[in-house]
Amino acid sequence: MEKYIRPYLAIAGVCLFFFTTHLSAIVSVGTELEFEGFVKFQNILRTPKFKHAEAIMQRNTAQLEGKYYFLKDSQAFGLFNTGPIEEATLTVTGRGVYDSIYDVRSSYDKAFSKSDGRYGRTEASLREAFVDVVLPPVTLRLGRQQVVWGETDGFRALDVINPLDLSWHWSRESWEDIRIPLWMARGIYDIGKFAWFDESFVEGIWIPTDFRENNISTDPRKPWAFTGNGLNKTANAIYKDGLLLDLDTEMRNRRPNKKLTNGQAGVRFKAIWGDIDFSLNYFYGFSADTGIQVQKNLSQTIDNTFYTVKDIVNPRTHVLGFTANYSDERFTQSVLRMETTFTTGIPVKLSADAPMSADPDRDQYDTARRTVVMIAADRPTWIRSLNKTRTVFLSSQIFWRHYIDYNPYYRGMSTVKQATFDGRVVSGKYIAENTDRIDRDEFVMTFSASTAYGAAGLLKPSFLMAFDPRSTGAYNKLKVDYFWSDNILLRFQQHIYWRAFNNDPGPWGLGDIWGQTSENSRHETDLSIIFQF
Amino acid sequence: MFGVPKKLLFLVLCVFAHFSWANDEQSYDRLYDWITNPIPFEPIETGTHLGLEDRSSHLEALIPQSAWKYYIFDGMDMEIAATGVYPAPPEWGQHMNDDYHLDDRGVLVGFKGGGFPFQDIKNEDPFAGQKVIWNMLWRPGQVDFVMPMTTWLRGEGGRLDRKLEFTSIASTYSRGDHCLVEGYEEVKTKRVMEFRSPRDMAGAKDMSISYVDHDRENSGWMYMPSQRKPRKTLASERTSELMGMDMIREDMNGFGGKVYENSWTYLGTKSVLATINVPDNPEFGGPHLWVPHKTRWEVRKAHVVLMHPTVDNHPYSSRIVFIDADTNWSLWMFAFDREDNHLLRMNQHYLKYSESYAYETPQQAPYIKQDFSENVGHHVFLHLGESDINAKKPHATMTHCYVKKREFTEARAKQFYSLRNMISGRR
Repeated sequence: MEKYIRPYLAIAGVCLFFFTTHLSAIVSVGTELEFEGFVKFQNILRTPKFKHAEAIMQRNTAQLEGKYYFLKDSQAFGLFNTGPIEEATLTVTGRGVYDSIYDVRSSYDKAFSKSDGRYGRTEASLREAFVDVVLPPVTLRLGRQQVVWGETDGFRALDVINPLDLSWHWSRESWEDIRIPLWMARGIYDIGKFAWFDESFVEGIWIPTDFRENNISTDPRKPWAFTGNGLNKTANAIYKDGLLLDLDTEMRNRRPNKKLTNGQAGVRFKAIWGDIDFSLNYFYGFSADTGIQVQKNLSQTIDNTFYTVKDIVNPRTHVLGFTANYSDERFTQSVLRMETTFTTGIPVKLSADAPMSADPDRDQYDTARRTVVMIAADRPTWIRSLNKTRTVFLSSQIFWRHYIDYNPYYRGMSTVKQATFDGRVVSGKYIAENTDRIDRDEFVMTFSASTAYGAAGLLKPSFLMAFDPRSTGAYNKLKVDYFWSDNILLRFQQHIYWRAFNNDPGPWGLGDIWGQTSENSRHETDLSIIFQF
Repeated sequence: MFGVPKKLLFLVLCVFAHFSWANDEQSYDRLYDWITNPIPFEPIETGTHLGLEDRSSHLEALIPQSAWKYYIFDGMDMEIAATGVYPAPPEWGQHMNDDYHLDDRGVLVGFKGGGFPFQDIKNEDPFAGQKVIWNMLWRPGQVDFVMPMTTWLRGEGGRLDRKLEFTSIASTYSRGDHCLVEGYEEVKTKRVMEFRSPRDMAGAKDMSISYVDHDRENSGWMYMPSQRKPRKTLASERTSELMGMDMIREDMNGFGGKVYENSWTYLGTKSVLATINVPDNPEFGGPHLWVPHKTRWEVRKAHVVLMHPTVDNHPYSSRIVFIDADTNWSLWMFAFDREDNHLLRMNQHYLKYSESYAYETPQQAPYIKQDFSENVGHHVFLHLGESDINAKKPHATMTHCYVKKREFTEARAKQFYSLRNMISGRR
């Protein structure tokens, strides 16, 4: 019993310390060194189908961010004249995580033993480490960092330079915290005004060797494992020639390795034309989404087991994009945004029964070309029945994704089912099937609203809805932040997944995939205490 | 038998009358009456310290009535200095263009700065109110600074709700016969403001460009560290409270809106007390710690301008601004609620003349040290802070500004005030 109480006592003690402590935001050491950061206690209660509840996460995060101003006014360390280099800083961000739920919940003991490497239980990482150099008209940022392009919120079209860590809470966290920073060089050459353009600059990025794919957990024991649109299990059986065989899959890593020929690079030109702020973007990289190539010639049946070999691949991609925004002050009083991309090398699954014409390699794998068009509007709006002193910030967007060389055998999410044989359920055996045909045109619409209440605006509610009109799957989030003090933020979030009709999982990870039709049901209540400084 | 109810009725009426009076004290009518029917007062000797005992003799005559509730309090201490003369920079007015005019909406057209557009303000001039505002909007020294700031958001009883730290850096582009950066003649000013604390706002920064053409809305971008990219902002929404502060964008410097969105009346000049050349960033006093205390005040002659927003959904029925008649800096602003014509928001500004830095230096920002000696010689006012009070909440925002004058070179301005500078931040 003591074992389970101990983490609670530790957390209560730490909370008590923070609630009674006041720290200035940004702690300065001398004039050159600054520290800031936060400690976050995040508790998630999952309520499958709202029928029962279980604590699935007690993630305790400490993040420390340091900034060292070692070159100011062309003087490095106060000693050396650096000529045209005017300023330089070093920024380092480290993060440590301990998810105490695995020590609190006895049911998780077996699932997360030391032999698992405690992945998901603890983490200590260097998030970002970069040097900023100001050498007018050039600025450089060198090191491990995040680079964000595009105008879209919450979905990816141009924002593909850094992959996402979707392993511990899918994409439901601030993307600043789940983007995987990469070692890269980013340079910007400021042009300013020329020809018809104002505020123009050219930006180049180069990622020499640091390729990472999106991190997705497929281990069903993990709270946010992605196991498709069915049972939260891993397939371990397969139907072959009328028999139910055990399935043994060897996954071979064919991801790009760390060598210069696997570098990635991008360039962007951004400027204002008239009152329209626009950018032209190009990124040559690897798809962060992973594809699976089945090596049929290496697959064989021995005794009662079907052995198969699959290669994990991340194909080369070209991403060409255009963004624009315009502040319409007169008619709609809105900021209108748009983004469009053309992307090659999107890995897609092909149906196992695809004909030779659709799958000549018989590897159940293809790469596709895709376009995205996103249009959005932001509007601070007076809704005086809701708030008399502050506007409500409304933001909505429509995101349309289109496969150019569409193949009707393209498949989306697979479904894991209980295996049956001769009409009887076979205990402990699960098979995977994929009948989720990808639509040529995919849509998602989002709407968000946020405002602030209280004399000092310390209570900040926000509402988010994402809706897929084809699958009718949706996701809602209600979030309320309350600033207890400058140091302490209390946060409540409720995540709800639902669908209006049918059982189409859709492509976006909304609705039923985390919703009501399977044991995946992942409605969640999230309570966090954040100590910030 | 009826004695008790009659006494009770009398008591209720007294209480009611008291609250009615208290509320009326902050009505638009009472302030209008205070302006148009001046209360006589005796001249005040230099060095006098005014306190609560001077309420009827001086304070009620020299503090706008809507502010009495906050500025006249037990233990108050106002040191009165001689009314100073604060000359503008020697070159002020020497490099102005002369091909400008007011259009029939009262909008200044073709003016490019370098001096005050209107030398004389005459009572009978139907555009006198707008002219006062144009002089205020083009006054010397309003920008060209590095200005770290600390803001306190306080409730009643001085309860501290939030403390913000941020820095504003701004430059004048349009300077009469020349522009700071060649090719940017359409730009009036550019400003970059970055938050330092609390952490949920740290690293958030915005860039704003205002234009010489008053009909053109500002351009703005905001960089949020959580998004790691800039976002275009809307300039034409000016009436929502900003980030928990007790002000709206239109309240900046008394009036920061659009001239053509108001109707204007010039109410003449009026003597008021003003913190126009304070020795230091003032401490705060009063029952709620909302107002400057133990600092230096002067009796100043101020233009009084009344404006009525012409749009139906504006939160204000009217706004009255007191602008120093000699220097054209805003001293006091009072805005009245459209719902009941009582005070909704007010602000009052603390200023310091640059030449006074030669013999008295205000405090440094708690998080950065600056060389204030370079402020001397500019012959301009520096904005050392303000009190912004929302009378209806009630709640207030007090700001200390730690201003250092800074003139950017053309090359530096071009680099610093650029969209390129907005695509990344401290994180």
